[in-house]
Amino acid sequence: MTIKALEKVSVGQNGIGAFILQCRKIDVHYCDYSGSSRGMNSFIKSQLSKFAASNPQIEFAVSPRPRKHPVLIGHYINGKQNSICVKNMDSLQILNKMQLLRNASGEKNKKLNKPVTSINDSVRGVWSPYHGTGMPV
Amino acid sequence: MKRIRLDRISSQLLQTAPARPAAASGPTRICQTTRTSRLQAPLYCQRRWQSMTSESALEDIKFDEIAERPEQQELPLPSPPPERALYSAKLAALHARLSLSSKIPLQALARALIDPSADANPRFNNANLAFVGAALLQYHTSEMLLTQYPRLPMAIIFSAMKGYSGVAALHQIARAWGVEAADAPGEEVDPGLLQFSLDKASNVMNKWGYVRSESKEILKWKWRRGLSSRVMYDDAFGDMIEKQKQPKEGQPPEVSDENNTKLIFDDRLANANSNFVRAVIGAIYLYCGRESAKTFVKGHVLSRKLDLENLFEFKLPTRELARLCARENFDAPVARLLSETGRLSRTPVFVVGIYSGRDQLGEGSGPSLDAALISASIRTLKSWYLYSPGDVGVPSDTFADDAVRWKPAYVDIGEIIS
Repeated sequence: MTIKALEKVSVGQNGIGAFILQCRKIDVHYCDYSGSSRGMNSFIKSQLSKFAASNPQIEFAVSPRPRKHPVLIGHYINGKQNSICVKNMDSLQILNKMQLLRNASGEKNKKLNKPVTSINDSVRGVWSPYHGTGMPV
Repeated sequence: MKRIRLDRISSQLLQTAPARPAAASGPTRICQTTRTSRLQAPLYCQRRWQSMTSESALEDIKFDEIAERPEQQELPLPSPPPERALYSAKLAALHARLSLSSKIPLQALARALIDPSADANPRFNNANLAFVGAALLQYHTSEMLLTQYPRLPMAIIFSAMKGYSGVAALHQIARAWGVEAADAPGEEVDPGLLQFSLDKASNVMNKWGYVRSESKEILKWKWRRGLSSRVMYDDAFGDMIEKQKQPKEGQPPEVSDENNTKLIFDDRLANANSNFVRAVIGAIYLYCGRESAKTFVKGHVLSRKLDLENLFEFKLPTRELARLCARENFDAPVARLLSETGRLSRTPVFVVGIYSGRDQLGEGSGPSLDAALISASIRTLKSWYLYSPGDVGVPSDTFADDAVRWKPAYVDIGEIIS
């Protein structure tokens, strides 16, 4: 007659309640020698500190990567990474790429076929042939 | 005898001015040999002199803070000093990601990341903060459950508490916050990493509960531990509190000692992560107050979804339903077949409704008559137990100065017993 309790863990949805920005770190790699990194170098001097100040949730790591193309690597909370090579780009173009990284979650882009994705039951219920007018044969 | 610190006495070894005056702490006897020759001093002193310049100011401050641990002065610290918290990018990012108020200093967040297994000194680890946070978390979770679902059975309440604010749930929350763990604790670790050790003992966060006198027999001979006694003796999640064997004075607890299993947990990482979440709540309570801590708990923990109907497992639902109707003076429950299809086929469906007089209490469907009956009984019982008066207030709403008068919450008679 007793009721046994099963153990389950609650499920969180980012944004319901508190919101956590999914991008936790961005690596900025530049090169002092190569020409493809000129835009990146000017980006670091002009745009980066303002962007970092407006996004305090992201940890920025700026380091040289000699004789390689400049690259932005975004690290996300789900453990995945996204890298964007910004060779020969303008500093404003690089800023756009950085905003892309900031706005992404770490998930792969998925095609959404349905208009609504939810973990809750449907509000109006699922149709049943055994209730209401049923399914006359 | 107190070890003589030459840097506090002689300024020729320092290139930066010390934070505190050199001979501030009372009379010190200066031995002739140490003043004249550094080479004759023990080796650990020589190592410290070589790294005097920039860390000397930090060491002075640290020395005053760790006055209680004289034996470990020359050993590396078990955790990074609090001053380094201001220079960690990871820590600042974590602080902003959680949208913590600026009233909470970075040093407090750094302290919340240090598990007692990394640093046993209670002034530098998160044990006290986690204790406060655990108490607050359990309080807010339990008041939400009891006011929103007044008829929940006790076993389900324990399980729901675990589902919202147990170790597994808090571990998920900490991972969702992007908390990374250091491979091993130490002084050189980035202050923004979670520090814990796999082989040292950590602390148990129990505000409520007593050690039963028969705890040893319960563990060894698997004695019965009833629910009523769990309410009295066990912790907020219904788990037994085991007797803590105190380690001998001055020695860390032995990992290989099989009698000393009480302080060791199954999943150290999950335990460390959950202690961090509790410590953050404790820090918010400390620096920002009660209301901010409640808002934080509601936003991060209680906003998560846990389907309580999936926690139930019944043994004899038909008998229980009959007892419920008898207690509530309803007519005896009668099961009626509402509709069916495919009785002789491979996949029949029977829809059974449970009626008490002319009122339908609940219905369920199944592949056989018995299965449909059981399903209907279970759904009826769940609809009874999961009754909710809606989002009525919680008792902690009355703590505010401008709170409205408390309307008494619905208190149920209790579970169905035979």
